[in-house]
Amino acid sequence: MVSQKITVTNKSGLHLRPAGELSKIAATCKSNITLVKGEKSVNPKSVLILMSGGIKCGDEIVVECDGENEEQDLKTIIDAISSGLGE
Amino acid sequence: MWGGLMKTLSVDRIASKGIAMGNAYVLQKQDLSPENYEISANQIDSEIMKYDNAVKEAASQIEILAQKSDIFTAHLELVKDISLYGGVTNRIRNELQNAQVALDLTAAEFCAIFDSMEDEYMRERSADIKDIRNRLMRLLKGIGQTDLKSIQDKVILIAEDLAPSDTSSLNLDYILGFLTELGGVTSHVCIIARNLELPALVGVPDLLTSIHNDDFLILDAVTGKIIINPDDSTIHRYESLKQDYVNKRKELERSSFLPATTIDGRTVKICANVGNIEDVRKATTHHIDGIGLFRSEFLYMENSHFPTEEEQFTVYKEAASLCSSELIIRTLDIGGDKSLPYYKFETEENPFLGWRAIRISLELEDVFKAQLRAILRASAFGNVKIMYPMIISMEELNKANEILTACKCELEAEGLAFNPDIKVGIMIETPAAVLCAANFAKHVDFFSIGTNDLTQYVLAVDRGNKKISALYDSFHPAVVQSIKHIIDAAHAENIEVGMCGEFAGDEKATTLLLGLGLDEFSMAAGETANIKNIIRNSSYEKAKECAKRAAAAYTLQEVKKELSII
Repeated sequence: MVSQKITVTNKSGLHLRPAGELSKIAATCKSNITLVKGEKSVNPKSVLILMSGGIKCGDEIVVECDGENEEQDLKTIIDAISSGLGE
Repeated sequence: MWGGLMKTLSVDRIASKGIAMGNAYVLQKQDLSPENYEISANQIDSEIMKYDNAVKEAASQIEILAQKSDIFTAHLELVKDISLYGGVTNRIRNELQNAQVALDLTAAEFCAIFDSMEDEYMRERSADIKDIRNRLMRLLKGIGQTDLKSIQDKVILIAEDLAPSDTSSLNLDYILGFLTELGGVTSHVCIIARNLELPALVGVPDLLTSIHNDDFLILDAVTGKIIINPDDSTIHRYESLKQDYVNKRKELERSSFLPATTIDGRTVKICANVGNIEDVRKATTHHIDGIGLFRSEFLYMENSHFPTEEEQFTVYKEAASLCSSELIIRTLDIGGDKSLPYYKFETEENPFLGWRAIRISLELEDVFKAQLRAILRASAFGNVKIMYPMIISMEELNKANEILTACKCELEAEGLAFNPDIKVGIMIETPAAVLCAANFAKHVDFFSIGTNDLTQYVLAVDRGNKKISALYDSFHPAVVQSIKHIIDAAHAENIEVGMCGEFAGDEKATTLLLGLGLDEFSMAAGETANIKNIIRNSSYEKAKECAKRAAAAYTLQEVKKELSII
């Protein structure tokens, strides 16, 4: 398993549109992905579950990828979040 | 054209005048509750397949919608969501629920999660989930979508009732008129119809059982008749009636450039009520003395978010420049029967007595400030005035004015132009404001009487309740005396009183209002020429006498007798 910390910077946090964008990207990944915020873990492949994590602008989260292609997937997710998810 | 027996329905009150002929488009009321039956183990795969197909079809519907609005791009992700899909298919597979029940319960679980979240935005997303759920449910139950955007022919729209969210998705070029089974003459659909100068009748008994899709209709919103599948001679008769009606309107328009001055020299202002820039453009083609009511709530209702200061400024500025005379902008009047697609209002027992209008603005201060700043900035481009709705107390007025002052200071510090002496008025539409009118008159620049709510509140009669619609009558002595009291209180302090409720455009009330001393009549633009014509042919002295007697009457019947209505 690989993991990396990142701070969410898009101003509305993981609201409907950015969450939709992220889950679309996550769905293309082969490994199991988890976003960890404090004690909460959510699966970003589901936009509903992802939004229920209530991740806001300025929150520090950990992205974990586990399984086939994990290195590549971690980079994909980190790049997506740091790019601001289309916002 | 001859689709069945000719049949006629009648109503007492006209919601919006005019005559239309065309085919009926019936907006079906839909039952979106799941059918409750169990499935057997060998039906699992076919039940999942049903759900798969519904998701596929929903996704392709949404893809088309997404080309027009960003909101639907996100819906596309929601409808294909793996946890929604997983939840539904697990229920089918493990609990042998049918697809409808499985969808209903899974969506309810997600709604519950979002409803309980701290973040307000997230709580509101439960509405998106419900939207998706309803779209899928319609497909599972084989019911068509109620997408009013799909209307592509000129039709008379028939519905049980029409909410603002329904009408905001209408392509109005295709609408010849409106008919609803519920609703009173002050309901939302009537306001829309009058602004668009389209005929409408509301509160029509047995409407939905009498009219079917594609029936040919004559909608006579002059005498209050609906003729279903008329015979040829009736159609011919109505073709000429319609022409007469149009000619009469044109004739009124021809003399409407003259001021609204009575034969004995009393001049009043005749203004228009509007809901958006389109309405302003349309209204300014009539000879009006200004916009007496700009309903800013439509800017909020026909949007996907609270409109920003810039967005509002653009609209108000354009309205101000279109309108050479005064422009009264009413601050957000939402709540009651008007909600916002992007803001979740708590369910209230009595929404009309609940969190609405100025009560919301004073609590959502950022939203209020964005609006006040936009109005102030527009005041640099015309004679813009501010009006607060639903005021019940001096405290509310003072608080609102404090926020206004703060906005002025901010704008000044930022070097943005505005009129520092902008006039501020209030709607008088609550019994509290009527009783304290003399106090308010000392602290505002003008009053505007909102007769729709005033009648409802003074009489304690819900204006949307069909069962008691006969009790809703603005000629009731209590309402007439309230109006007199308001006007007298205003004139004692030398401030102007307008009226922006439906009563102002009711030709039966013109003598009364003129005689009570009303300074400004604001109504749907289409009514202005008619009311102006009545005033130009009236004697102010006679109207005063008549109004005096009407205001002293004890019963509704006596009021109407004094005004020669009956």
